Amino acid sequence: MKRILLGTLFTAVSINAMAQAPGGPDCGWGNMLFEGQRGTPAHFLASTTNGTSGNATFGMTSGTNGCSTNAALTYGGKSWLAMNGMMNELSEDMAKGQGEALTTYAVVLGVAPEDRAHFAAVTHQHFSEIFKTADTTAEDVHTNTLAILKSDARLAKYATPA
Amino acid sequence: MLKRLAYLALCACAPLHAAPFMDESRLQRLAADPYWIALGHYETGKLGGWRSYVDDERFFLADDGAHHPDRELAATVKALYEPASKGDQHAQCVYPARTRWLREQLHLTDLPTPDCIEYREWFQDVAPHSAVLIFPAAYLNSPSSMFGHTLLRIDQADVQSNQTALLSYAVNFGAYIEGNDNSILYAWKGLMGGYPGLFAFVPYQEKLSEYRSLENRDLWEYQLNLTPEETGRMVEHIWELKQIRFDYFFFDENCSYRLLELLQVARPSLDLTSHFPLTAIPTDTVKAVKNAGLVERVDYRPSRERELLARAEPLDKAEQQQVLALAADTSKLQSPEFTALPAPRQALVQDAAYRLERYRATGQERDPEQARRSFELLRAINRNPPPPLDIERPGLPENGHESRTWQLGVGTREDRAFAEYGLRMAYHDLNDNAYGFPLGAQIEILQLKLRQYEGNDWQVQRLDLATIRSLTPRNDLLKPWSWQVAGGLERVPGKHDDEVLVSHVNGGAGGTWKLGDDLLGFALGTVRVEHHNDFAQFIAPAAGFNTGVLWRNGLGNLSLEAKGDYFINGEVRRSLSLNQQWELSDSLGLRLSAKREFSQLATAQNEVMLELKWYNY
Repeated sequence: MKRILLGTLFTAVSINAMAQAPGGPDCGWGNMLFEGQRGTPAHFLASTTNGTSGNATFGMTSGTNGCSTNAALTYGGKSWLAMNGMMNELSEDMAKGQGEALTTYAVVLGVAPEDRAHFAAVTHQHFSEIFKTADTTAEDVHTNTLAILKSDARLAKYATPA
Repeated sequence: MLKRLAYLALCACAPLHAAPFMDESRLQRLAADPYWIALGHYETGKLGGWRSYVDDERFFLADDGAHHPDRELAATVKALYEPASKGDQHAQCVYPARTRWLREQLHLTDLPTPDCIEYREWFQDVAPHSAVLIFPAAYLNSPSSMFGHTLLRIDQADVQSNQTALLSYAVNFGAYIEGNDNSILYAWKGLMGGYPGLFAFVPYQEKLSEYRSLENRDLWEYQLNLTPEETGRMVEHIWELKQIRFDYFFFDENCSYRLLELLQVARPSLDLTSHFPLTAIPTDTVKAVKNAGLVERVDYRPSRERELLARAEPLDKAEQQQVLALAADTSKLQSPEFTALPAPRQALVQDAAYRLERYRATGQERDPEQARRSFELLRAINRNPPPPLDIERPGLPENGHESRTWQLGVGTREDRAFAEYGLRMAYHDLNDNAYGFPLGAQIEILQLKLRQYEGNDWQVQRLDLATIRSLTPRNDLLKPWSWQVAGGLERVPGKHDDEVLVSHVNGGAGGTWKLGDDLLGFALGTVRVEHHNDFAQFIAPAAGFNTGVLWRNGLGNLSLEAKGDYFINGEVRRSLSLNQQWELSDSLGLRLSAKREFSQLATAQNEVMLELKWYNY
């Protein structure tokens, strides 16, 4: 019985990896801002003491939070999809103008180290154009960011796929 | 000799890709090499011979490979020479760490070269360069988290310079739990090895939100000084463990033990696992890794709850009320009470309100109304951003006292002198040496105390199976419950002024309040069931109270408590107790305890004891 259950789970994982939709069905690409934390606070002991709930995955599609990398969404060598589990953190950092998620965003967009402070300042200034509503999705954020970058002389070069 | 020649002839005639001949002594020597033993996760069996911690036949190439490292080695060498056309299924692709090691040891220059597409892409993606040991610290309101958990983070080369740890991967070993086992069944099966253990390779970001937001635990990150080559070796081996089931036992063969094994694969000269013969508690793991000289730097990430409390800390009462008002209704951003505040104070209040709102949303389904409120607060924050939070780093958890404690006490009860000898397997009580532990958290597992009265009169004083207390202060923003549970054997007053050994289970719930810096006051309602030989009933229930103060002072922690149990059968048992710890050194503490007990069955009894506590391993 145990083996059957395990087998089923892993099959499901590999199907996800092959899915056609951009990023795959479970990747949360279209999730809105403030989407609930993935999963519930797992088992009291399971999560507090020795690790994790049963969701034993093995990042076959790494750097992308379970999203397929097939879609052409790669900038500067890293997939933008990696950001998609960090939308809440990114919105907070961008509102404040600094933070780890914002730095990470600059890196996955391929922004060079010397332009990152400027990137943080510009996105902070245009926060309400990038995060337009509470229902903004990761995809919107990406599109809106590129639009903002295009209109900035120093950052425009990062707005075209490398 | 003739036989040897015949073998040689066979080898010479064999087709190009054939496993090389290996004589028996060579094979045995290689199979006993600590590195091969580590790769197969073998241990010496209880009846001699070998057994592997891996409980999964897919991991072994030889039929009895789980018990015979030598046969497994021979089967592996043979499999390495299978036709390259097997591609991703080829042993070289499935066992990259075994392949590398055997190639080096046996100088296998003529191996076929299968194209390991899956493995190659995965490895390139992970691009291992360095590793970080991650330790989510104890959370006050969940004392069982004191046992903690450890995981590893695998960083790419540019993670430090770019500050992109959020893009890294975490290697996690945990019990794989199917279906809906409830917590009690979980605990039982976890202890008894009823679950398989599995390695998972997940985005670090996911683990961060799990610990910092869902569970409100601080995270400690120990940057290890593994070289890129060593880190790569470890990651190669992790690939071999993909979806492989291990035996999993909560206390020993747990997450910590497995991670120590991985580090030994990374750097074969390390000997970490032999230090854990009985139990592997994660803080001890951190200590072992540190003592082995592996730690380069320590970073600290406060939990979301700690950030919220730190943000609200400088706010006065009225401003805290503003925080609550804003979190409930963002139109209050325009209220005169709020706009009257100076801009820098407004920035703090709205940031605290945003954090409170997100704190409350944790673990919940997305609520559109709450999302809208959060977003409004973000827009306000965007117009008037607060200064960055500066949270002081608490004491390193691995520098807290050791978990096993020997106790030697002398005292008097009424007019009788006694000596008391105690051993506690784990972990910490409210008065123990405080460094590295949160104030108000207690978890003790298996404590035995023997008492020797004058005249060589010995008795079991108490046997605690488990005692857990969680005294988390309430404030305007957060209102956690405090609670406690305990069970075991203990001495209570009985007829003829005797101390009677009773078995009991008790628990309580209530509140804790911060009365000042380093001063907590608590009050809990309690229930208790007890088996007492002087009672008519077999099991006697009681209800009662437990209240007191806990004060962190210059000597150590002081607690002053009053307790009462009102039994249905009419017995009323109350006590007053005082405990003051004097922290002598990291591993030594001296405790003064004084207690006065009242009971319907006996006259009031006084007891005073001075006790030396040695926190030893």
